[in-house]
Order: sequence, then C-alpha cells, then structure tokens
Amino acid sequence: MSEKINLTLKVWRQKRGEAGGFKTYEAKGIDTDASFLEMLDVVNDEITLKGEEEPIAFEHDCREGICGCCGSLVNGKTHGSHERTTLCQLHMRHFKDGETIVIEPFRAKAFPVIKDLIVDRSGLDQIIAEGGYVSVKTGNAPEASTTPIKKELAEAAMDAAECIGCGACVAACPNGAAMLFTAAKVSQYALLPQGHPERTQRVKNMVAKMDELGFGNCSNEYECAVACPKGIDVKNIARLNREFIKATLSQGK
Amino acid sequence: MSIKTTLMTSIGQKLLVATSGLVMFLLFLVPHMGGNVLFLFGPDLFNSYAHHLHQLVPVVIGIELLMLASISVHMATAVRLVLKNRQAADHRLSQKSSAERSLAAKLMPVSGVMIFIFIIKHLLDFKFYEKAKTTLHGIETYDVYAMVLSRFQSDPIHLLFYVGFMIAVGLHLSHALQSALQTYGLYVPREGSKIKLASAVIGWGMAATFAIIPVVAFIK
Repeated sequence: MSEKINLTLKVWRQKRGEAGGFKTYEAKGIDTDASFLEMLDVVNDEITLKGEEEPIAFEHDCREGICGCCGSLVNGKTHGSHERTTLCQLHMRHFKDGETIVIEPFRAKAFPVIKDLIVDRSGLDQIIAEGGYVSVKTGNAPEASTTPIKKELAEAAMDAAECIGCGACVAACPNGAAMLFTAAKVSQYALLPQGHPERTQRVKNMVAKMDELGFGNCSNEYECAVACPKGIDVKNIARLNREFIKATLSQGK
Repeated sequence: MSIKTTLMTSIGQKLLVATSGLVMFLLFLVPHMGGNVLFLFGPDLFNSYAHHLHQLVPVVIGIELLMLASISVHMATAVRLVLKNRQAADHRLSQKSSAERSLAAKLMPVSGVMIFIFIIKHLLDFKFYEKAKTTLHGIETYDVYAMVLSRFQSDPIHLLFYVGFMIAVGLHLSHALQSALQTYGLYVPREGSKIKLASAVIGWGMAATFAIIPVVAFIK
C-alpha cells in the first residue's frame, strides 16, 4: 500500500556561468510509489505555479533505467545508495516521512555543471569517439553461426556492454577517473572477434582521450563498481590495463 | 606510441608507481625483513649476517642506488597523481564514500609520507651512525647487535616511534600489493578476493615482524 510522505529537499541550484548553492524546498504529500524523478516533478509543479523562479533542472529521458541520462548525488551517494539502481528507478518508499534529502549534481572536473543538477558529460562521448565502435560497414546482419563465439566470451562482452554511460563511476571515484566507463567500452570489443582488428589503436586512443579531458587516475579503490547502476565489474578495469600493456608491447602495429 | 608517451598516460603512471613499489618490496623490504629476523637469534648470528652483508659491498651499493632511483620515481609519480586526482575530483560537498573504500586505500598518501619520514630517521639511526667493533670467530667486525640494543634500551619513545611507524607500513602494503596486481591487469575481485586477503596478511605480517625487533631489543 502506498502512503503519502512529506520531505525536506536541499537542492543544488546553479545558473550557467554563476556560482551555485543549496536551496531548501518542501516536498509535501509525496506518494511512496512515486519514483525519485516523479517526486522532483511534483516539486517542480509547485515551483512553476508559484512563478517566483525556474523549476529545478535535472536530466532524464527513458525513466526506465536504460538510457543513462538521469543521475545525481542523493544524500552523498550517486543515484542514491541502492544497488544497481538508476535515479529514475529509485522509489520514494526508501525514504522516511519527515526526512531531509540532499540532492547535488555529479561532481568531477570533467563534468562541469550546466544548470542545477545537469552536468556536461560529453567527455564520455568524446572517449567513445576515439574508438568505442567497430569501423566496418556491416550491411545486413550476418548469419549467426558465421563467426562462432564462446558463450562465456559473449556473456562477458554483454556484461561490459551493459554500461549506459551515466557517469556515476566518475562521480563516485575519489579521483574522478573514468576508468570503469572506458574499461567497459574497451572490453566489449576486446572480448569479441569483431573488435580485434582495431584493439591496439582503440585502447591507446581512448585512454589518451580520457587523460586529455582531465579525468583522474584509478587507484583501485572500487568505489566505481559500488556506484554502477548496471553492475559493471572491476574485472573490466583489469582487462583495460592488460589491453593497454599489450598494445604498448606490440609497438608499430 | 613511444615508451615515454606511454609512461606519461594515466595507466603508464600507475604502472610506474606499481613497478617502483614492487622493486622496493621484493629487492629491499623482503630481504631486510629476513635479515632483521636474525636479531632474534642472538648476537653471533646477527653480527655474522652483518659481516657477510658487508663483504658484498658492490652488490649492496648497487641495490642502494636502485632503491634511490625507485623511491624517487615512486614518490615523484605518486605526488603528481595525487595532485591531479585532487583536481579531477574537487568541489564535492555532500559526497560520502562507501564501505568499499578501505582505510588503507584512503590513507595511501599519508602512510607513504610517514614511511618516507621513517626511512630518513632509520638511516640516521643505523646507517650513518658510529658502530662499535667486536670479535667474531677471531675476525674483527662491527657489533651491530649491540648497536640495535643500545638504540632501543631504556628509550620507550624511540621504541614507540618505530612500532608506530610500522602501522604505516602495514597500511601501505595491504593496499599496495593488491592494487599493483590489478594495475598489471591481474583481476582482483571486489568481494571474497584471496589476493586482497593475501595482500593484507603479507602487509600486516611484515609490519608486525619488523615491529618485533625493537620490542625485543627494548625488553632484553
């Protein structure tokens, strides 16, 4: 049974090019079956009706946990603190009546705040543009058994490909590193034969881009894997390191 | 990509820290612990070990130079990385770390600096220090056993300093070993990892072994 709860929100408000700060809002009569984003919608309705300021800007798209758009720090944790849950899939039943919730944008030098809770995560796209694809025109889907792939490899590649690029790993990393993201993207191709022709260049270019954009350096503290709403494992970071070492040793390829 | 460009990338820098650290661990810390343990077996064995080590001077100097190079690379790279990482993750207000982030991992820079301070003090205490002579099987040699005794006996503050700084060694090693292996590409899982466990056992075991010597010297 759903019930209604009242909450106090401390939300980060920031306009483009200006310094930001926390502002307090009351969220009244929130249905516990509502998602976190729906709760923000209710608060935004009130702000809009009052007409004194602009509603809270937050990023969202599919609202079913697969697009990677949403994400904020909720009480200091990326996407809230529930395992394998994006912010849109976090439900209000996890909060108590009268609770104060602090909502802050993802923080990293490579993720500048655009407005309120929206940060610029295009750095992740730039890393993808350096080789997170297979540059072959494929035409129609080939017959499935032309290239046999071991089940374990296919599954590991699919596990890596689960990454939705939400950026929680970067925000949770004490060093603001994009290692888990890059590792997932490198791994999904390194594990499949289709990715092999370009694997050397791919890992070098993607790591170089990651460094250039001001992401930090991994210190193997595994906060990223805890934060990941898709359960991407640090196994992929070990694989990225191996791919990088192999690529360096096979110079001139 | 040249070797130099590779070493300047984030993964390259981490490989430098891991490798210089492992060199110090394997070529210095492990043999040093082995030698120290001989202290527990009395003056003859310990002085004889020191005597034989002294006869290997060219090798010892070679290792010392290698250690000097390793610690320079290790510290310079680590400082650079820590500063870059601070920048990459600044302006965090409400953020909390999870239980995953161990104290050892969090305190790596602190334990690192503590170990550096300890090394300087340790060198002043025992390396650059006038040693008495003794005779062992008719050969005149340095009485390092007596030196260790004299440095710790009736000096509880000195003893506390040594034991206390070994906590930094335990902390540093317990994260360092597993982290270096993951950087080399050997998968160290988050949960139930034998490598993580071994890393902690070896790290704290070595720190405790080192700490026993001043304690024994103090109570003798």
